[in-house]
Amino acid sequence: MIARAPRNLSALLVLGIPLLWIVVFMLLPYGIIVTYSFWLKSYPTFKPAFQFGNYLTLLTDVQYLQVLGRTLKISILVSILSLGLAYPFAWWLVFRCRSQALRTWAYMAVIAPLWVSYLLRAYIWKTILGTEGILNSFLMSTGLISEPSSLFLYNQFAMVVTLTYIFIPFMVMPIYTALERIPLNLAEASADLGMGPVQTFLKVTLPLSTPGIAAGFTLTFCLSFGDFIAPFLVGGPDGNLIASVIQTQFGAALNWPLGSALSIVMLIIVLAIVSLSDRLEATAHTGAA
Amino acid sequence: MKKTLTAMLTLGLAAGPALAEGTVNVLTWEGYADPSFITKFEEESGCKVSATYVGSNDDFAPKLLGGGGIYDLITPSIDTTALMIDLGLVEPLDTAAITGWNDIYPKFLSQEGIQRDGAYYGMPYVWGAIAFMYLDSAFPTPPTSIADLWNPELKGKISLWDDKSSIYVAARKNGDMDIYNLTDEQIEKAKAALVEQKPLVRKYWATAGELVDLYKAGEVVISNTWAGYQSGLLKAEGVKVTEFIPKEGAEGWMDSWMVVKDTPNKECAYKFLNMQLSELGQCGVANVNGYSVANAAAAKACMPAEQYAALHQDDPNYLDSLQVWQALGDRFEAYTNAWNAVKAQ
Amino acid sequence: MAAIIELQRISKHYSKTIIGVDDVSLDVEDGEFVTLLGPSGCGKSTLLRMIGGFEAPTHGMIRLAGQDVTHVPPYRRDVNMVFQDYALFPHMTVGENIAYGLKIQGRSRAQARDMAVDALALVGLPDKIDQKPAQLSGGQRQRVALARAIVRRPKVLLLDEPLSALDARLRDQMRIEMKHLHEKVGITFIMVTHDQEEALTMSDRVVVMEKGRVAQDGRPQDLYDQPASPYVANFIGTTNFVAGSLTGRSPAGTRIASAAGDFTATADLALPQGAEVTLGFRPEKVRLLAEGETAANVVPGRIAEVIYYGLGLRTTVELAGGTQVHVDCLLPDSLARSAVPQPGAPVRLGIEPHNVFVFAGRVAA
Repeated sequence: MIARAPRNLSALLVLGIPLLWIVVFMLLPYGIIVTYSFWLKSYPTFKPAFQFGNYLTLLTDVQYLQVLGRTLKISILVSILSLGLAYPFAWWLVFRCRSQALRTWAYMAVIAPLWVSYLLRAYIWKTILGTEGILNSFLMSTGLISEPSSLFLYNQFAMVVTLTYIFIPFMVMPIYTALERIPLNLAEASADLGMGPVQTFLKVTLPLSTPGIAAGFTLTFCLSFGDFIAPFLVGGPDGNLIASVIQTQFGAALNWPLGSALSIVMLIIVLAIVSLSDRLEATAHTGAA
Repeated sequence: MKKTLTAMLTLGLAAGPALAEGTVNVLTWEGYADPSFITKFEEESGCKVSATYVGSNDDFAPKLLGGGGIYDLITPSIDTTALMIDLGLVEPLDTAAITGWNDIYPKFLSQEGIQRDGAYYGMPYVWGAIAFMYLDSAFPTPPTSIADLWNPELKGKISLWDDKSSIYVAARKNGDMDIYNLTDEQIEKAKAALVEQKPLVRKYWATAGELVDLYKAGEVVISNTWAGYQSGLLKAEGVKVTEFIPKEGAEGWMDSWMVVKDTPNKECAYKFLNMQLSELGQCGVANVNGYSVANAAAAKACMPAEQYAALHQDDPNYLDSLQVWQALGDRFEAYTNAWNAVKAQ
Repeated sequence: MAAIIELQRISKHYSKTIIGVDDVSLDVEDGEFVTLLGPSGCGKSTLLRMIGGFEAPTHGMIRLAGQDVTHVPPYRRDVNMVFQDYALFPHMTVGENIAYGLKIQGRSRAQARDMAVDALALVGLPDKIDQKPAQLSGGQRQRVALARAIVRRPKVLLLDEPLSALDARLRDQMRIEMKHLHEKVGITFIMVTHDQEEALTMSDRVVVMEKGRVAQDGRPQDLYDQPASPYVANFIGTTNFVAGSLTGRSPAGTRIASAAGDFTATADLALPQGAEVTLGFRPEKVRLLAEGETAANVVPGRIAEVIYYGLGLRTTVELAGGTQVHVDCLLPDSLARSAVPQPGAPVRLGIEPHNVFVFAGRVAA
C-alpha cells in the first residue's frame, strides 16, 4: 500500500498534467465557444439561450456562404500552388542535389523565413507586388509592359501568392521528410525492372511520398483557411476571408454568438480535412516497412 | 477581520498618492498619450502613464469585456460612448473636479452620447471631420462631390474606410441625409451603391498608416480620411494631398475621455483628465495628430492664429456643417451587417 | 557456350586518385554462376552495378549477349538485380512486386499474376502473394526479391550480397536453395559477396578482386589448391606463410631453404636461384608426425598452443626462426588422450610437396 501510493501519484502527475492542459486550454475554450454559438445577440451584448438561429443565419444569409466558398477556394489554391512548388524542390533536394552543403543551404533558405515575423513576410509581398513595386519596375525595365500594372496587388492573386510564400515551408518539410525516407534503391529496383524515370516516379516515389503530401496539404490548407493577415495586407475589396469575418463578429459587430457559430463551422471543416488526410496517411502507411 | 483588511487597504491606497506615486492606464488612440506632452505631466503629477493603443472603436468593448480591468481611462468616439455606458463599463464623471469643463464647446457638451440620467460620462477632448482627400497631381479640377468616389475613370484608384461609416457615405450620395436614422430600405440602397462601387475600389483602408501607405505607393488618389491626421502625415512625406468637404457634407466625430468603472487609480485618472483638458493636453494633441480640440479657451490661449484657423476652432459654420456621429443603438447591427455583406461579395 | 557478358578493360575512376575498378576484363559464359569475391572496397559491387547499368564505367566496354550496353540505362537492359536489402516496394503486395516488371514487357494482368504465382512457387512461397513485404520475415523477403528478379527471365541475374542480411542458419539453407534455383532456371548468375565460403559453395567460378583489379579467376577448387598470390591464399581459406629463398631444383620439385628448415615444393616458379620467396601451406594440409613416421617435408617445431574445437584440434607451432604456424588435425578416436600434444612439447610437421605454395617475394605473414 505504502509502496503503491507514490507510484499512483507519479502516474497521476504524468498523465494528469497534459490532461489538465488539454482540458483547460483546448476543451474548455471549445466548450465556451460552442455554448456561445447557441446564445442570442441582444443589444448591447448577447444573452444566454439555446437556439440554432446563428447557424441558420450562416446557412441562409448568402454573405457567409460566399466568404466560406472564397476562403475554401483560396486555401485550396494556396495548397495546390505550394504543392506544385514544394514537391519538385524537395524532390530535387533529396534525389538530385549531390552536395550536402548545397542541400542544407537550400533547405534552410526555404525554412528560414519561418523565423522572420509573419507580418514582415506579408509586407515584403506588398513591396514586391505594388503598383510602384519591384515586380512592376522589373517588368517595365524589361519592356514587357509600358505602364505599371495594378493587377498584382490587392486582389486574390496577391493573397494566394503571399499565403503560398508564407506557408510553403509547411509543405516542404513533410514532403522532404517523406522523400528522404524512401530508400534510394527502390528507384534503382524500379529501373532494374524496366521502368523509366517517369514511371518510376509515378509508381514508386509518388505513392511512397503520399503521407508527406497529405500532411503538407493539410497544414497549408488549415493555416491558409484560418488566416486573416494576408487579406488585410494584400487582399483587395474582394478579399474578405472567413477569419476576418469571425474577427468582425467578435469585434466591430459585437456579435459573439454568430462569431462562435462561424468558428464552430470552421473548426468542423478543418477537422474534416485533418481526418481525411489522416485516413490517407494511414492507407499509405500500412505498406511501409 | 475583513473590515480591518479593507481599512488597511484603504489606508494603503490613500498613502499612495501622498507619496506622489501612482499609475494611470489608458486605452486610447495613438497620439493621445504622446510623450511630447505626457512626460511633462508625469514629472509634475508623479503619475506614471501607461498607454495601450486601439486601432478601431470596435476594440474598446472586447478589450474591456474580455476580463480587462487593467485600464483606467478610455477614449471612444461619440458613436461608441453610449455603448460603453450601456455595457456598464464606465462611471459618471465628477465634472466639478475637472478644471475648464465649462470652456468646452456647448455643441459637444450637448451630445447625448456622453450623458445618461443627468450625469456626464465622457469629457469631450478632440474632434474633427471624416473629410475627403485627393492626390493633387491626379485632379486638374478638384473633386467636390462624394460621387467622385464612384467615377469609373478612377477605377482601381479609390479607397474607402473599412468601417460602417461607408454606409453613411453611400447614403449621402443617394441623397439620404439623415444618415444615423436610415430605414432598412435606405440601408439596402446604400449597400447596393457600395457593391456597385466595389470594382472601382483598390483597397478598403483599415488603419491610418495603411491609407498613408496607399497614397505614398501611388495606389490610390481619392478616399475619405480622418481630417488633419493622414494629410499631415502625407505632407510630412512630401506627398501633396488636399482635404475637402464634399457638397453632400461630411460626418463629424468627437472623442471623449471616459473613466472605467471602479478604477483604483482615481486620483491619477482625474489629474490626467485635467491635464488633457488644459493647454498642455489640448495643444499637445493638436500638434501631434492635427485634430481640433474641445476646449475653446485652451485652444485660443495656446495655438498660433494660423493653426487656430486651420483647425476651425472658431468656425461655428464648419462645426454645424458636420453631422456628428451618433450612437446607432439597436440599429447598429443593421448598419454593420450591411457593410459586412458588401465586403463579403 | 558463348559469353553472355563481356567486360572489356572496364575502369571506374571517381577522381584522379580514387579508383573503384581498375582495368577489369572478364567473360561470363551463358548459364554460369560467377561470384565476385573480395573485401569491402575492392570494387566488386561497383563492377556489378556497372553490369546492371546503375553506374557507367569511365573506360571500357560492357557487352551483353554481344550488344554494347555500356551506356544503356538499367530499364533497357535485359538484366535483373537482387538488391542487398531486397528493395521490395513497401506499398505493394508480394504479387504486385513480382508483377511490377511484367506489364512493361507487354503481359496482361492475368498473365502477370500467373507468372507471379509460378515464380513464388519456384522460391517456395506459394501462399504469400497478397501479403505486404512488411508482413514477411527476412528470409521470405529474400525469396520474393529473387522471384521478382527471375520472373522477367533476364539474360543475367545480378545478386548483390544476397545473403548478408540473413542469420547464419538461414544463410546456409539459402545457399543451397539458390544453387538449386540456378540449376532450375538456367539463367546466368553473377553474385557479389565478401564471404569466401559462400563463394566456394555456390559458384561455378570465383573472381577474387583486390583493389579494383582481378586477383585470380578460376574454379573454386583451383583457387583453393593453387592460389595465385598470398592475397588469394589468405582470402580463401587460411594459409601459413614462411619466408625462404630458392636454392635449386630437383626432380621432386623446387628446393627452398628457410630458417625453419628446407622444403620441397611441386610448384615451379621461373625464378633464379637465391630469389626471395614466400612459402605457404594450409593448416589442414599439415600433419603432426608420430614417432617414426615420415614425410617428404619434415619440419621440426615446438607446440605453442592447443585449441580444441570439437571436430579437431588447432595447434600453434613455433618453428625454428620464430615463425608460428597453425596446424589443424582431426581427432581420430584411436588417438589416446595422452597423445594429445601438450604445449611445450617438441613436434615434427609433415607436409607433402604438392601442398606447398611458392610465391615470389616476401610478404608479411
